[in-house]
Amino acid sequence: MSYKITEEGNISTVFLNGEIDMDVTEKAKEVILPIVESGKEVHLNLKDVSYMDSSGISVLIESHQKALENNTKVVVKEVSKSVLKVIMMAKLEQILNLE
Amino acid sequence: MDLSESKDFLVHTASLKEVRVFSREVFDKLKLDNELKEELVLAIAEAAQNIVKHAYKGVENTTDHMQIKISLKDNNLEIGFFDKGKPVVAENIQHRKLDDIKPGGLGTFFIKQIMDDAVFKKDQQQWVNHLILSKKI
Repeated sequence: MSYKITEEGNISTVFLNGEIDMDVTEKAKEVILPIVESGKEVHLNLKDVSYMDSSGISVLIESHQKALENNTKVVVKEVSKSVLKVIMMAKLEQILNLE
Repeated sequence: MDLSESKDFLVHTASLKEVRVFSREVFDKLKLDNELKEELVLAIAEAAQNIVKHAYKGVENTTDHMQIKISLKDNNLEIGFFDKGKPVVAENIQHRKLDDIKPGGLGTFFIKQIMDDAVFKKDQQQWVNHLILSKKI
């Protein structure tokens, strides 16, 4: 997994790339959670994430919940078809902010 | 087309990518459509992850290997997982309730959604755990 972060005003966009599994979830959390905890709105762009398992889904849930605690939000954007299928299997499409 | 292939993997999170590569290679030989292939790869990866996460919980830097065997016979797909970790008590395995939104507890749910059956067998002397996932395809 690789990533790139862009900033625009109070919004940080994190572009994740590759496959997100248990081996990289700590790295993903280290990238995302500090931004959320700073109170910024985070946009997670998943267009280049080709695979995500339950560990990756856990990162999305944790990020979402951490954002609520910090009165901000995480928006999940440009979800690839394969990742959307996993999100829907977990019945999270109404919980996560998908765009 | 009937087929049976197996491969050993070091019990480590870094092996999960190799597990997916192996699984995709086998399913490509079976010419499965991409959607089914990726569902099956997810189920296999989740089961392998459970070995690393639960059967080897608290065990760091093990040199143990797990074995994954994918077999297809008469349209019955069977995926075997063999490991030498802590014995699994099948009755204790449960996924979290979907409306209890929190990180974790979804791997087993995904496996149940994708596969027809998941059974632990005690038929191996050289292994501790033997999980069989099956699906009619």
